[in-house]
Amino acid sequence: MVNDNLVDNIVSEPYKYGFVTEIESEKISKGINEDIIRLISSKKNEPEYLLNFRLNAFKKWQAMEEPDWADLGYEAIDYQDIIYYSAPKQQEKITSLDEVDPKLLETFDKLGIPLTEQKRLTNVAVDAVFDSVSIATTFKEQLAEHGVIFCSISEAIKDHSDLIEKYLGSVIPASDNYFAALNSAVFSDGSFVYIPKNVTCPMDLSSYFRINSGDSGQFERTLIIAEEASSVSYLEGCTAPMFDTNTLHAAVVELVALDDASIKYSTVQNWYAGNEQGVGGIFNFVTKRGKCLGKRSKISWSQVETGSAITWKYPSCILIGEESVGEFYSVALTNNLQQADTGTKMIHIGPKTKSTIVSKGISAGKSSNSYRGLVKIGSKAKGARNYSQCDSMLIGDKAAANTFPYIQSQQPNSEVEHEASTCRISEDQLFYLQSRGIEFEEAVSMMVSGFCRDVFNQLPMEFAAEADKLLSLKLEGSVG
Amino acid sequence: MKSKKETKKPLLEIHDLFASTENLTILKGVNISINPGEIHAIMGRNGCGKSTLSKIIAGHPSYEITGGKIKLSGTDIEPLEPEERAQSGIFLGFQYPIEIPGVSNLEFLRVATNARRKFLKKEELDTFEFEDLVKEKLEIVKMEPTFLNRSINQGFSGGEKKRNEILQMALLEPKIAILDETDSGLDIDALRIVASGIKKIANENCGIILITHYQRLLDEIKPDFVHVMANGKIIKTGNSELALELEKNGYEWTDKFIDKT
Amino acid sequence: MQIIEEISKNRINKSASGSILQKICLDKLQLNPLPNHKSEIWRMANKSKLARFLDYKINHDFYKPNIPYENESQKVIRLIIGDHKKINIKEQEWEIKELDDQKILNLIQHKLLESDSTQNWSALLNHLLTNEKNICGLNIKGRNLPHLEIITNSKNNLFNSRTLIINIEKNTEVEISQINLGDDNSSLSNSSYLYLEEDSQVNHGIVSYGKYKSHLINSLNVFQKKNSVYNLGSLQFKFDFGRLEININQIEGNAKTNIKGMQITQDNEQISTYAKIAFNGPNGFLDQLNKSLARDRSHSVFEGLIVVPRIAQKTDASQLSRNLLLSNYAKIDTKPQLEIIADDVKCMHGATISQLNENELFYMRSRGLTLEQASKLQLRSYYQEIISFLPISKERWDLLALLLKNK
Repeated sequence: MVNDNLVDNIVSEPYKYGFVTEIESEKISKGINEDIIRLISSKKNEPEYLLNFRLNAFKKWQAMEEPDWADLGYEAIDYQDIIYYSAPKQQEKITSLDEVDPKLLETFDKLGIPLTEQKRLTNVAVDAVFDSVSIATTFKEQLAEHGVIFCSISEAIKDHSDLIEKYLGSVIPASDNYFAALNSAVFSDGSFVYIPKNVTCPMDLSSYFRINSGDSGQFERTLIIAEEASSVSYLEGCTAPMFDTNTLHAAVVELVALDDASIKYSTVQNWYAGNEQGVGGIFNFVTKRGKCLGKRSKISWSQVETGSAITWKYPSCILIGEESVGEFYSVALTNNLQQADTGTKMIHIGPKTKSTIVSKGISAGKSSNSYRGLVKIGSKAKGARNYSQCDSMLIGDKAAANTFPYIQSQQPNSEVEHEASTCRISEDQLFYLQSRGIEFEEAVSMMVSGFCRDVFNQLPMEFAAEADKLLSLKLEGSVG
Repeated sequence: MKSKKETKKPLLEIHDLFASTENLTILKGVNISINPGEIHAIMGRNGCGKSTLSKIIAGHPSYEITGGKIKLSGTDIEPLEPEERAQSGIFLGFQYPIEIPGVSNLEFLRVATNARRKFLKKEELDTFEFEDLVKEKLEIVKMEPTFLNRSINQGFSGGEKKRNEILQMALLEPKIAILDETDSGLDIDALRIVASGIKKIANENCGIILITHYQRLLDEIKPDFVHVMANGKIIKTGNSELALELEKNGYEWTDKFIDKT
Repeated sequence: MQIIEEISKNRINKSASGSILQKICLDKLQLNPLPNHKSEIWRMANKSKLARFLDYKINHDFYKPNIPYENESQKVIRLIIGDHKKINIKEQEWEIKELDDQKILNLIQHKLLESDSTQNWSALLNHLLTNEKNICGLNIKGRNLPHLEIITNSKNNLFNSRTLIINIEKNTEVEISQINLGDDNSSLSNSSYLYLEEDSQVNHGIVSYGKYKSHLINSLNVFQKKNSVYNLGSLQFKFDFGRLEININQIEGNAKTNIKGMQITQDNEQISTYAKIAFNGPNGFLDQLNKSLARDRSHSVFEGLIVVPRIAQKTDASQLSRNLLLSNYAKIDTKPQLEIIADDVKCMHGATISQLNENELFYMRSRGLTLEQASKLQLRSYYQEIISFLPISKERWDLLALLLKNK
């Protein structure tokens, strides 16, 4: 049979973002305690309320146990062996891109995210985050003309403290889970977006996260607020160099949508996944949640997860406003020894709320790929609707695919529908494509991307093409 | 157009071909030679090995050649992968075309066509050029352009699937086309469309093998040779009269060729 | 919780005969007297109801049950566990005989030792508390057997526990109905084991019918050898706390399992079904449908798990959970899960929660039916699919009429 020997000859495509930027960094000493948190806060000149927010979170974190329920196996993380703050050394105040270390600009150039005015992408504003700090944010002024605030969260803490105080931790309280608590205590930087009333953001916004240093964790925090009748599309990309140690990434993303607002949040996650033997790679433990506070508001998550040694991630929606809408579109591809445990929670609180879940998991090599989801229809969610579809594709007979959907309803006037299926690339389909002259690998990647079509259709144009390319790149060799 | 065929070199030669699947020998010494411009019909009962022969020519991985040779324009094709065979001009029209969800028919046709063109050292077509070409070919099988935007064969009726096969044949311009029961499951109107499509594509450089049980396709496309298969062998070869004879007398007489073991 | 106290104070063995099996169970239960609520299969269990299940005096005596349907026909062999005489029938085409104690021990022990005590809590408790005369072990062989009806019942204000072990020999075909009758304010613990040898077929029905404040935990363990066919129809209703644990193990794959179950909850009841189907060989087949209907303030739970390891290539498994939520205060939890490693498999699962189809109701009403008539018609078809899967229910017990009469 064709498939039996497919996976045996794994010749992984080298990870092309695996380089390290030689740059002098300012790092604090390893470990976590109250003094470290005070130090991070003082390095960032934070106001008192934020220091308290951090200390409070730290107390809660100390009292918590690391979760072990996800279907993941990994060696225990030593939280005292991580550097919680690492920043490239540069001048204190940067007022223009010219002052940014050219090495950093070069790094982002190499990653395909040019930041300088001559070269930058014309239709997307970018916030570039390097280790613990935001390096640069493009198109800030142009966006400001529309009243849109797009800056690093550190800047927002200083310049927009009213909004930060009101919304930070309002969707994901520090006590939410172990990794959210850790993030709340030590988060270094991240992006902040505010879209004022009646404004459709004139361009896509994006953050690009780069982990450079091998021994520091990355704990970024993103907050997006969409006021009444506003809308925004936000893209997130991630890469990291190849190290043979595991790096912890514990991010928190909070979204708030008010009446008639809509937020579309798309991620292409390509953190370093470790090598074929499973050495190295990022531990990606992320909490992402959106609150549809307003009537008819909409939050849509789409994600293409291809990287990381371990992914633990459930972008969720709390649907409070009447007729609000939550969506989750996900493609997760695992190869070699990667483990992904991903899914979503759709919490229907308000009446006539609607949610859609489309999840496509592809497992190759000896990897394991799980969908874990919760759909909850509360007793007041009259007329709520949910539709979920979870499909798994297995490539080779050593990969695992699990589906753990959990559905709860307390409202008779509601409808929940869940479907899941498992398939593989059949020999007949392969032969049919090959008999029309299509090369074996191309045939496989055509079928994989066909399998993911419903999700790719949800991604913004540039991302969809990138995702397609990324998938075939990741699969190359795994089926040869 | 067939007058000069004697002087031509055969396109496809099958010499004493033995083949098996799952340790079961299905072909037990098949011999056929097809010259450019010829139309051959292979007839026989279910299980006589007709479909196996077509799959082996196209390189289906479940079957193994255990003896003999298949040559395309003088070159042994056994070492070639299915796609290489397709690129070099072998086309198999499937009895049951495969459904592939999510993969756009148009994209599929374009990639396949360009793979063949690349082999022929012709320029590859971009999306727009290809759309012009495919629209022209759609006429041959009387299909609506909306077909192109659907997933490969998914939700197609039996007739639509077969027409999609003929459309692919028109785009790939094969040297040798094997049409495996292309007539099955078609009503008389669909059969006419498919048959007239095949006739339009056929030319003096191309050889065609029609695999069928019934006369009705052969009424539309007159074969030059008719082969009767039984028990993995060709037991009789004749002209189109032979097909009419089969239609009248049935296949019972071929049973004596089946080993009772 | 009287029973837990007895266990922790080591008072159980004094009243029971103290078999090897009971010793194994006591050791395990003394470590963990109560099921771990953090484990998935106990997370949803209502704690106070579980406590009430354990809060009756242990009873080993037999009380004649009130069987809610008439007369026994000639074609049925009826056994009431606790009351059964030694059974040993041999006819031309078939044979039913008692299993000896050692065989029983072997069959049960094998299951108890294989997994951890969280998975097995219900069975451990059952074997600890069931004394010898409430264990029924049968060996069945042959074809054209009469219908076998096995009844277990509880007596009010008492905790009653029964164990059933049936070995079905090669090429045997048999129909077995199990009736669990819950009395007012009582608890019934029932563990059943069915071993299907090669080429055998069992059509199994389980009807669990309670009364006011009845409690039931029924654990069912089925082991299928190759080419066996196991069909299960189950119906649970009128239990304040009802719980059916189904464990199917296709030991060698190459077997067929069809399950259709339904649970109906009303008032403040909680009824749950847990189904784990493990394929330990290739070419296994499963078709499972679980329906539930929840009214009033009741809570209905379904949790399914299909496990397909690498050895189980070409498994074809489907699990569907269909739920009707008919009240603003009722609650439904459902969780159909898949764990798959083999790549050449066809697995699907689905779950829906909704109320009666409005369009269909409207259609019927527009033809002159009252809302009540239309709803009844819909419910009838909802029930019928499951009831028709129970062996001989129609003649014995008009379950449909009974279900439709309840509200």
